Amino acid sequence: MPLINFAAREINYKIVYYGCGLCGKTTNIQYIHRKINPQARGKLVSIATEEERTLYFDFLPLSLGTVKGMQTRFHLYTVPGQSYYNASRKLVLQGVDGIIFCADSQITRLDENVESYLNLWDNLIAQGDDLTKLGFVIQMNKRDLSDIFSVEDLNELLNHTHSPVIEACAVSGLGVFETLKTVCKQVIAKTG
Amino acid sequence: MAKRKGLVINDRQLDLCDDILRKLKDVSGSTFLALISTSGQPITTASDDYHPETLSLASLAASSFAATQQLARILDEKEFTLLFHEGKNSNLHVSQVSDQVLLIITFGRETQVGKVRLYTQRAVDILKPVFENADEENDLLQVDEGYEASAGKMIDDLFADVEGEADAAH
Repeated sequence: MPLINFAAREINYKIVYYGCGLCGKTTNIQYIHRKINPQARGKLVSIATEEERTLYFDFLPLSLGTVKGMQTRFHLYTVPGQSYYNASRKLVLQGVDGIIFCADSQITRLDENVESYLNLWDNLIAQGDDLTKLGFVIQMNKRDLSDIFSVEDLNELLNHTHSPVIEACAVSGLGVFETLKTVCKQVIAKTG
Repeated sequence: MAKRKGLVINDRQLDLCDDILRKLKDVSGSTFLALISTSGQPITTASDDYHPETLSLASLAASSFAATQQLARILDEKEFTLLFHEGKNSNLHVSQVSDQVLLIITFGRETQVGKVRLYTQRAVDILKPVFENADEENDLLQVDEGYEASAGKMIDDLFADVEGEADAAH
């Protein structure tokens, strides 16, 4: 849930990138860190293994500036994608306002995508959250590769909430900011 | 659809918190104090001249504390109410104030851990009702009506240049 500090005139929202291992969550956040105006971002914190796989989370704070007198920030997090890190994923999801589900478009990753999507629902239900009340965007990543699913197929499998779907290639940046922009607007619209 | 409510802090709460943190800092001999939300967002801080990177600190401390709570469950313990890291030159103490709020304290080797723990517990006892009894007054507070539209425009502006850059590359 957002932290609305009327006394300090601040609002902070928490956005989490979710998805299976190696789907591109960290790549999204690294691209944002690299490209966005340095004055609008804080330090990128990564808790990763020696092989640079996310062990706990990545964290990047973004500042939107002062909106109607309220300093507005978005705190971006990723979760570890590998299935045996579910305990860590649950912790990162606490207090979430918006979720970007990063789907790996490769046909060979179908099972992992579905498993991660179901796991997201399970974890949200367990903490008493309802995905339809949060910001939620599905990013179809790795659209530059061959042997990928059609948008229609992935939509049918992963989009029961009829949420916005954005095609992306996080390595080159295509769709990265469009995805973030969409979820940022959603979280503001859904909280207050 | 009803909008989600967040953790809301009003002027009275912040004044009380700042006052308690200042007093706690003085009596405990600590160097830096912060109240943060359990989801990792800073609420307020107290410090003389030591200013760590607060956003990262809050995010990492909240995550560590959440992990500690899960460890307690695995060990069939109801909860671990504090987290303590001892360093060569400085120490970190994190304790729970309410369901949604944590208190972070850093202090040096010259300060006794027992003293910090004692005064922190007293401060937590005073801080707890500040957050637990404020729902009614905070329900009356509203973000400015034009906030959503203005924020939407600023989001477009913030991402406009970088978005165009990525699109042009394709």
